[in-house]
Amino acid sequence: MNLMPSRTDLKVEAEPAAKSAIPMIEIDHVSQVFQTSSRQDHLALSDISLTIDDGAFVSILGPSGCGKSTLLYIVGGFLNPTQGVARMKGNPITGPGPDRGPVFQEFALFPWKSVLGNVMYGPRQQGVKAADAEAQGRALIEMVGLKGFEDFYPKELSGGMKQRVALARTLAYHPAVLLMDEPFGALDAHTRTRLQNDLLNIWERDRKTVLFVTHSVDEAVFLSDKVVMMSRSPGRIKQIIDIDLPRPRRRTELLLDPRYQKYVVEIERMFDDAGDDELRP
Amino acid sequence: MTLRTLIERLAPLLACVGLLTLWQVAALGLNNDSFPTALDSVRAVPAILGDKEALINILASLRRMAIGFAAAVLVSIPLGLLMGRSRGVASFFNPLLMVIYPVPKAALMPIIMLWLGVGDLSKTLVIFLGVSLPVIYHSFEGAKAVEEKMLWSGAAMGLSAMQRLIRIVLPAALPEILTGCRTGLVLALITMVTSEMIARQSGAGNILFNALDMGQYDTVYAMIIIIGAMGICLDAAFERMRERLVRWSEPQFDIPLSFS
Repeated sequence: MNLMPSRTDLKVEAEPAAKSAIPMIEIDHVSQVFQTSSRQDHLALSDISLTIDDGAFVSILGPSGCGKSTLLYIVGGFLNPTQGVARMKGNPITGPGPDRGPVFQEFALFPWKSVLGNVMYGPRQQGVKAADAEAQGRALIEMVGLKGFEDFYPKELSGGMKQRVALARTLAYHPAVLLMDEPFGALDAHTRTRLQNDLLNIWERDRKTVLFVTHSVDEAVFLSDKVVMMSRSPGRIKQIIDIDLPRPRRRTELLLDPRYQKYVVEIERMFDDAGDDELRP
Repeated sequence: MTLRTLIERLAPLLACVGLLTLWQVAALGLNNDSFPTALDSVRAVPAILGDKEALINILASLRRMAIGFAAAVLVSIPLGLLMGRSRGVASFFNPLLMVIYPVPKAALMPIIMLWLGVGDLSKTLVIFLGVSLPVIYHSFEGAKAVEEKMLWSGAAMGLSAMQRLIRIVLPAALPEILTGCRTGLVLALITMVTSEMIARQSGAGNILFNALDMGQYDTVYAMIIIIGAMGICLDAAFERMRERLVRWSEPQFDIPLSFS
């Protein structure tokens, strides 16, 4: 169990040890079967068990079709697992809730609402007064770097900007866990890098628990405390790797760091060895 | 640039004038009693609109149309949205609607008249039926197309299924719903006239067909012009409102398909 050193120090002082006995998220022997169009059963996830500690940044890494998004949807409560159970702070997850905030690759913004309207939506739903929700919304919009775009509609924004709004919209209702489903997958390389940096900066302020689904090895190593490697057909956990790199992380420094390079190469090699490519049925 | 805008602005007007000229020339050429010239027909318009009796009739028509349209929209939008989001509701209503869809609503008029008489109720009901189907269909399609992830985002914020239907599905499907309503509005006008053609008692359609019976052909054509103008005005007003409501959505056409 390798959390960042600074974090562990803080935690020991701030909270009694008893709390860490119940993990933030616990995935307990979860399997998921889908019916394909030809009415065959497809085993998307096979007997997955995983625990995620409070404040950890955990990436689920794997090729497309390995069920990594499915796993995230189960934690989100959007899907019910065929077998097994997912728990949040010890309580079985039966549906979506504001304690788990999703950020999707497709952004899924409300197109009829302005940027500010989108960000205020969750707090307003939870009964926060309009004036307070607006003040917090404006602050969040500034934090994700979109000051001045408060009154724009989603259709007027680029992909990267939309994803910034989606992140602010989710952060606005203070979920204990962020569920990020390939959030930067639809963006160009440059925008992607900038958003990764900004996400890390934002995350380092309050260190929410993050479950981050990606197929990019660099992204997973750069962001995470822990990388869960998955393989396809059926989707199962291949290996869990603790990323023991100092924080705060700076991309430019990290790229030159041999430890970072070693993690990336090690993980890529493991995928190569498995011959886990797209062409397998 | 300014000349171009001017031409674009004037284009609908030019089209109308062109059509009237064509009509005038054709009528003069044919010289037939049952085909009055454009000039004669247009001249008959103020006579109709100045006549109190005729005006009351036309207003009664519009009233029935408004009631039928409003009732249809109020019933059809929730039904269409529910069908779009629930497989059960869709498979219950779908066969029912498929049976009604191809039947001309005016063809139901005689049966409805047997039950409800020749009064306002029958005519309003036919208008209701005429408007309902396109509105249900477009609401259904709009609701079906709502992104699953958008609903998930709402669910994560704590919106219940009912709240998601009203506060996410309804606004997300609004552009499609309003397209249906626009078709419905024109159909309301059409069914209004046809219903009055069958139940000849009052209304704009009644004036038209009475004039036809009496061989007052300029009045017949004047009524057609009046009904057409009502259609254009209603559609333009609706389009104004629609544009304001869905300004946030992607532009679908560069050229607005209306005379507004």
